[in-house]
Amino acid sequence: MKIKRRDFFPLAGAGIIAGYAGWEGLRSRLEAPTARSPVVVLKAPSYSVDLAQRILQGVRECGLDVRDRRVLLKPNLVEFDPATCINTDVSVVAAAYEVFRSLGASEVVIGEGPGHRRDTYSLVEMARYREISNFDNLFVDLNRDDVSPVKKFADRDEIYLPNTALRADLVVSLAKMKTHHWAGATLSMKNFFGLVPGSVYGWPKNELHQIGIPQSIVELSRIFHNSFGIVDGIVGMEGNGPIQGTPKPAGVLVMGRNLPAVDATCCRIMGIDPTKVEYLRMAADGSLGNVEESHIEQRGENIRDVRTNFSLLDSFHGLRLA
Amino acid sequence: MADSYLGVRQEILRRSQNPDGGWSFYQGRQSWLEPTFYGALVLHGERASDRAWALLKSWQSSDGSWPPTAGAAISGWGTALCLTLAQIRGDMGEHYAKGAAYLLKVAGTESELWRRALARLGFFDPGRDLSLKGWPWKEGTSSWVEPTAHTLIALKKASAHSPDSRLRERIRSGEALLLDVRCKDGGWNYGSPWTLGEDNRSYPETTALALMGLQGRTEASSSVDLARHWLEETPSSMARAWITLALRLHGVPVPDAPGPLAGAGSPDLTILALEALGAPGGNYGLLKTEMA
Repeated sequence: MKIKRRDFFPLAGAGIIAGYAGWEGLRSRLEAPTARSPVVVLKAPSYSVDLAQRILQGVRECGLDVRDRRVLLKPNLVEFDPATCINTDVSVVAAAYEVFRSLGASEVVIGEGPGHRRDTYSLVEMARYREISNFDNLFVDLNRDDVSPVKKFADRDEIYLPNTALRADLVVSLAKMKTHHWAGATLSMKNFFGLVPGSVYGWPKNELHQIGIPQSIVELSRIFHNSFGIVDGIVGMEGNGPIQGTPKPAGVLVMGRNLPAVDATCCRIMGIDPTKVEYLRMAADGSLGNVEESHIEQRGENIRDVRTNFSLLDSFHGLRLA
Repeated sequence: MADSYLGVRQEILRRSQNPDGGWSFYQGRQSWLEPTFYGALVLHGERASDRAWALLKSWQSSDGSWPPTAGAAISGWGTALCLTLAQIRGDMGEHYAKGAAYLLKVAGTESELWRRALARLGFFDPGRDLSLKGWPWKEGTSSWVEPTAHTLIALKKASAHSPDSRLRERIRSGEALLLDVRCKDGGWNYGSPWTLGEDNRSYPETTALALMGLQGRTEASSSVDLARHWLEETPSSMARAWITLALRLHGVPVPDAPGPLAGAGSPDLTILALEALGAPGGNYGLLKTEMA
């Protein structure tokens, strides 16, 4: 019997046990990626260019069909600081919403569970997300959504995750291109930390740190493997990211269906060797996706033409791409 | 009264209580411990509060802890909230005793003996005193400002009617931990005052909660001015609500709420309940702590 993610049961009652069974089934169906993974890199020199057209091009180049599918757009809203550029820009979120609606998705919602701050709606206000038309009716605070258990997460017996994310047929990681002071880089896969509910695990989600950041990144990507990555590298963050770094214009959008391949491409653009980034090594070793350049089908811009080295903390100088 | 700042919020809470007696974060969802705790405080003395407590009692785990929502197999920080509510209600039976025992047992993993030994041997610089014990969001993780503050409120209330020396020791240690991790700007980040050698900025929400946990400590007074500043500056309605509570608990005058529906920027019922608690005539005094 094939069990889809939407087959999970709500938290209450006997559904817990049945939900466990469903997830175990899904996990066992993952297979190693065999073909080369297409990743699209498109130039976008500023947020005032036609972003919807670029995202549409990326989606089409990757052959993504979202007709009649429930789509969750997951931006990065971990924290807000007007002095820097922590978040996925509102114009990227708005453009992605427009594109996925126009492609016939049955539902498109925007959801995030900020990792640091308690007041989610204050963050969306400060990041200007409420400028998106009808935003309050589209948005789900994933920190406070109803939750269901998913069996087995690294060495834990289970993890509780928001029903909105578990119900989605496709989770679109609308990530920001940033360095990260623990993981090396935070891109489309690390962005899934915002799917873990603060109401269960707290602010910050220290449980994921205890398990191990790379391991947690890989586990979340495994659970939400029906995904698409759109990385906002128009203005990224370098140095002491993901919060205290400095803005770094890279002028690109990076998109693809295989998140390890998307992140590996972003790393190369940032001047980081993805094969030295632990979570990407684990993803490749665990057959979650392609990281080696020869296994990625690069479309759009050539990496050499858009590469711009992001400054790295001293502890990450060993990650620098030759 | 019904159309006052407080009355409007009380009425919304009465209408939004779930059939099981709890409250959700957002109307129409499953009940969660945190909004149920604050809803029960706002409506303390009413039947709605009794129903809320009955629900929370039914959630208690066999180890004495409380999960964040029904059926979640997580020993969580909400245990402190339930212990506080039990004492406010004068329900000091088995639930209370097991909850108190659980909180005395749990501490952040950073204070474990082997970590302290490694720090002492110079394997890493913790930048803080690891002998001080706080409380985690979830058992088996590190201690953080917010769960430590909530637990201090619960244990300080408990110490008023218990001679248990372990209570006093954990309170002393928890308070010292909060003071140890205060940021340079006088407030509190959610945990450490720095990351990788860089100072962390403090947040209004966590500063307010730390001040609530440090009631009665004169060392906290220097942070009160920062909280007053934030009350004017922060765009977060949740932060303003928590700061208002903290200032009232420290006996600092707070400007009256501007209008019945002012500040309604979020549909989160927890914020609504926090605003009601801190309103003139609200039940903020229930969170006052006085150690014997």
